[in-house]
Amino acid sequence: MRLGGPPRKPRSGQRPEGARGCRGHVQFGRSPQSPTRRTRCPSPKPSAPSAVRCCSRHRRRDSPRRVWMAALPPCRARLRMSPRPRASEVRGPTYRPAASQAAKTRASPGASPDPQPPVARQAEAGGGAWPGKAGTHEEVLPGQRVCNMAAPMELFCWAGGWGLPSVDLDSLAVLTYTRFTGAPLKVHKISNPWQSPSGIQCPCKKGTGRGGAGDQSVMQTSMCGQARILLINSFSISGTLPALRTSNGEVISVPHKIITHLRKEKYNADYDLSARQGADTLAFMSLLEEKLLPVLIHTFWIDAKNYVEVTRKWYAEAMPFPLNFFLPGRMQRQHMERLQLLCGEHKPENEEELEKELYQEARECLTLLSQRLGSRKFFFGDAPASLDAFVFSHLVLLLQAKLPSGKLQAHLRGLNNLCVYCTHILSLYFPRDGAEVPPPQQTPAGPETEEEPYRRRNQILSVLAGLAAMVGYALLSGIVSIHRATPARTPNTQALGMAEEDEEE
Amino acid sequence: MSLVAEAFVSQIAFLQMCNLPVKVVCRANAEYMSPSGKVPFIHVGNQVVSELGPIVQFVKAKGHSLSDGLDEVQRAEMKAYMELVNNMLLTAELYLQWCDEATVGEITHARYGSPYPWPLNHILAYQKQWEVKRKMKAIGWGNKTLDQVLEDVDQCCQALSQRLGTQPYFFNKQPTELDALVFGHLYTILTTQLTSDELSEKVKNYSNLLAFCRRIEQHYFEDRGKGRLS
Repeated sequence: MRLGGPPRKPRSGQRPEGARGCRGHVQFGRSPQSPTRRTRCPSPKPSAPSAVRCCSRHRRRDSPRRVWMAALPPCRARLRMSPRPRASEVRGPTYRPAASQAAKTRASPGASPDPQPPVARQAEAGGGAWPGKAGTHEEVLPGQRVCNMAAPMELFCWAGGWGLPSVDLDSLAVLTYTRFTGAPLKVHKISNPWQSPSGIQCPCKKGTGRGGAGDQSVMQTSMCGQARILLINSFSISGTLPALRTSNGEVISVPHKIITHLRKEKYNADYDLSARQGADTLAFMSLLEEKLLPVLIHTFWIDAKNYVEVTRKWYAEAMPFPLNFFLPGRMQRQHMERLQLLCGEHKPENEEELEKELYQEARECLTLLSQRLGSRKFFFGDAPASLDAFVFSHLVLLLQAKLPSGKLQAHLRGLNNLCVYCTHILSLYFPRDGAEVPPPQQTPAGPETEEEPYRRRNQILSVLAGLAAMVGYALLSGIVSIHRATPARTPNTQALGMAEEDEEE
Repeated sequence: MSLVAEAFVSQIAFLQMCNLPVKVVCRANAEYMSPSGKVPFIHVGNQVVSELGPIVQFVKAKGHSLSDGLDEVQRAEMKAYMELVNNMLLTAELYLQWCDEATVGEITHARYGSPYPWPLNHILAYQKQWEVKRKMKAIGWGNKTLDQVLEDVDQCCQALSQRLGTQPYFFNKQPTELDALVFGHLYTILTTQLTSDELSEKVKNYSNLLAFCRRIEQHYFEDRGKGRLS
């Protein structure tokens, strides 16, 4: 899988711990603990073969549980070559402070990059005993690496649809972030929130799950597309997606906290951002949350036409029986309540005015994003950051879903650079999911006309079948009789038969 | 600490920055006079406008604007930072007022219920508290502890401080709506007495923000003879 852009160039200059207000690369968070010893982003090309080698060697040493992952060394290794493995973290809007910083060890930005941090990332935070210092920039030999015996992280998220890897905003944001950073997660794309590990767990007998692909949890590796049926041995009422099960068994279900956790695990897409860019990230994420999110909720869940024809249809088809009867409605009520609470302070006289105001602000927000992006590939240069993940998830949902009433969609399609931005990320990081997506400028008339012949044919067939059934029933029960047959029938048919005989005569 | 005070300071600062003369008038029924129910508001001729956003637009329509000199990218950043301030600082202040038990018990309940007789003062105060808690839950702040909220405020201040850098105003030489808004919030935080000083301590950690507040206060308030805002 190709990853976007060359790795971000490491910036020069010290990063003093905890310093504020100085120009350059002030760490965005406090750094109470000792710095980690990993530093650099790798230069992908030279390390690729070695990564593959080491990776495969490691895999075979791991516990049998991960044997199946050993089959995927090339894919995983390639993914490891993400330009984003970072040792220090940057704080985001609701993030916890960084667990460790690499301030001191990044004093030599020009030094050759550590070629193996992605492989090194197998060791989870708890067991991350780095055998060597980051100063040793030689290739990591197999013996030096600590085999990770802890369970890998698992991400449960909503399944894909409408040409997207996931139909849910939060799931999409988290998935995109993990793709950007190359975090080795097991991604479970499910369409049943009761199988999420969050929520109240109710154990059930193992193996009672229906094995149908698509309605139960299908474990997909996001790397190479191998699928397996996973039998869940518990289900959770009021579980939510996305949910991350960490290697310690802890379950995190708030998207921002998931991303914070990934950063703590050294999968940080914001490593190379300057202080000011980090501040801009916070600001633009607030902008998205305040202006664009309410309108997205409104477009997908409150707008009657969209809800019935697109959202509810997808969820009802995707969810297993009997959840598909009540869960979409419940989700809609939750979203409506959330929207009312978000926008509750403005109480205009009627709903239409509120809608107009909301959409007006959302259009403005889109224009602002477009202006900020300009003609760049990503918001902060050539490599993606966490802001890109959030912006992408918000925009691409709006762009790709075929909405019957898409006022905002039309506005978004008019902003060419945002459309190009979305398709670029989609094709680069989600090649399989985005493959069948038509380019944004075309109106989605194509797929609909393709369905037409099938629909017409089905209609004709059903009418014929109905007619045949009626005629057959009439013949068999004797309401209608063919005059050649012996008229040993009811009076109705006898009358008819006689009338026909008379006619003949 | 009152959200009204912040809005008040922000709006006054903005109007001062636009060089528009302002007279402050106190009325008991101000809330009912306001078109959106929020105070403060401005009354110009026969028009009444409340809240900083609409006031900015109103003033712009009359030909005064602070952000004309900004290019598109800067305007985008300005809006984004305004949202950041609204999102973080405002919500944090709301949290402190209504979800922090110490503050609620000592200050907020008493102040909110003071115009009403018993038992209405208690009932309305609890009702408002319940509403605010619901809202916090909806935006994901329901499970936050006070420390986490203070951390968020710190993050926000850090972002503002980094954006400000060593410049006199956020967009270099001239103040904009963002400066007015930030000043309103920070000034109120710094000058309001609460049960604990943690919030103002967070802001005081950033020397450039303190200097910024002092600069605006001196330039737009003391110089004009308006006296110190309380």
